[in-house]
Amino acid sequence: MEFLTIKDITYGYQGTSPVVDGVNLVIKKGEFHCLLGQSGCGKTTLLKLASGLLQPDKGSILLNGKGMTDPSYECGFVFQSPTLLEWKTVMDNVLLPVSLRRKLTEENREYATALLKMIGLSAYDNRYPTQLSGGQQSRVALARALIQKPSMLFLDEPFAALDAITREELQEDLLRICQLQNTTVLFITHDISEAVYLSDRVAVMDKGSIIYEEEVDLAKPRTMEMRYGSYFNDLCLTLRQTMSEGRS
Amino acid sequence: MKNIRFYSLLLFIFLLLLWEIAAGNMSELVLPAPSVIFHTLIDGLMTGYFTAHIIRTTLEIVLGLILGSLFGFIIGILMGESEFLRKLLSPYIIASQAVPKLALAPLFILWFGFDMTSKVIITALICFFPLLENTMSSIQYVDKQKLELFRMLKASRWQTLIHLKIPAGLPGILAGLRVAVVLAVVGAVVGEFIGGSEGLGALIIASQGMMDTPLMFASLILLTIIGMVLYQLVNIAEKRWSKPYMKETKK
Repeated sequence: MEFLTIKDITYGYQGTSPVVDGVNLVIKKGEFHCLLGQSGCGKTTLLKLASGLLQPDKGSILLNGKGMTDPSYECGFVFQSPTLLEWKTVMDNVLLPVSLRRKLTEENREYATALLKMIGLSAYDNRYPTQLSGGQQSRVALARALIQKPSMLFLDEPFAALDAITREELQEDLLRICQLQNTTVLFITHDISEAVYLSDRVAVMDKGSIIYEEEVDLAKPRTMEMRYGSYFNDLCLTLRQTMSEGRS
Repeated sequence: MKNIRFYSLLLFIFLLLLWEIAAGNMSELVLPAPSVIFHTLIDGLMTGYFTAHIIRTTLEIVLGLILGSLFGFIIGILMGESEFLRKLLSPYIIASQAVPKLALAPLFILWFGFDMTSKVIITALICFFPLLENTMSSIQYVDKQKLELFRMLKASRWQTLIHLKIPAGLPGILAGLRVAVVLAVVGAVVGEFIGGSEGLGALIIASQGMMDTPLMFASLILLTIIGMVLYQLVNIAEKRWSKPYMKETKK
């Protein structure tokens, strides 16, 4: 069943060629979809269009059958940098989306505590973001995106600034949580192996268009060993070649 | 660097001694010795001669500071939020800044009389600008991704202001307050110079008339203390409130 449908959308600034040019994309319920591309290919713009932060010049976006013209409470968003509020504690940062909507309930606090536990930061709930490492901050940003139990999650290279080991840990956390809640995900990255490891389906974007799409035929849950298997590496190579062909 | 406070104190004592020696060779009218000034100061404090003046000047400074900062903050928010207001008002704000405000003091005394009102207004006018400027620019240049986050969370304009722009701009706003505190002292004293019978500024003018230089120095010392105490208070508030913004260096 299709959950997010992007129909022929175009977006651009006046006088230049469109940043996003006639993109079609269908993501099924509970599917983890990765969008792969080099910097400047328009993937962040596409994500902002899909999440309702930007309005397309042409085309339409349907979330669960309804047209999207505005950000929705059903969606969570994780930005390139953690974008935590420095003056709020970790707990208050996680609860921010709820506290902007209504008065916090005991249930909200319990869920936030559970989320912090899930990402291994239970002991940090009263710390301030500047007291955390980069990886910990990214975890808090992820917990904040999950606090409203979104059915759709948008992530914009959330782990790009982290070291390899921390990134793998966070990938595991993300996969586990999304599977648990059957969250549909659109994940943007320029890291080929990250895309293959995480996704059910991967698309390559170049110059504002999607030039390649492929199912990732790996069992779930994913394991460390898969990263070194032949199927994994073959797919990485194919994607790599597609990306450089797109450039030329 | 540990002993820096100690050396600072040592320097202070050395300068006092130098002053004391220099004053020994001069008329008390030109340069009274620290010991003489100290005697005048203590004497005035004990007899309660200074009390009314200290209260008056402090009150003028504090009231002017509160009034000016509050208006500066509010107008700063409005101008930071609305491009229309910013463009409409900025020529006037710049013009009002270009006028040397202390030169307006005689006019204010003409309008508002010789009592406290005129001094509070002069002080407020001087404190207004640093707060306006800092508030306006602090809330305008908030991290773009944080603004996008708030849009994603469907926050209203009011919520974005209260929960994002003002807290994010707080360090800048407090820096403006720190500047305003120092200027407030100048405003109140100049106001008292021009027209006033009470207050430390008026006392300086009176001591000039009476050729009582030690009294003049004693008043100056009191003014310096008031300024330093207020500055320290703002500093403490700034440290306290902007603590989470700083990267922790030690664990």
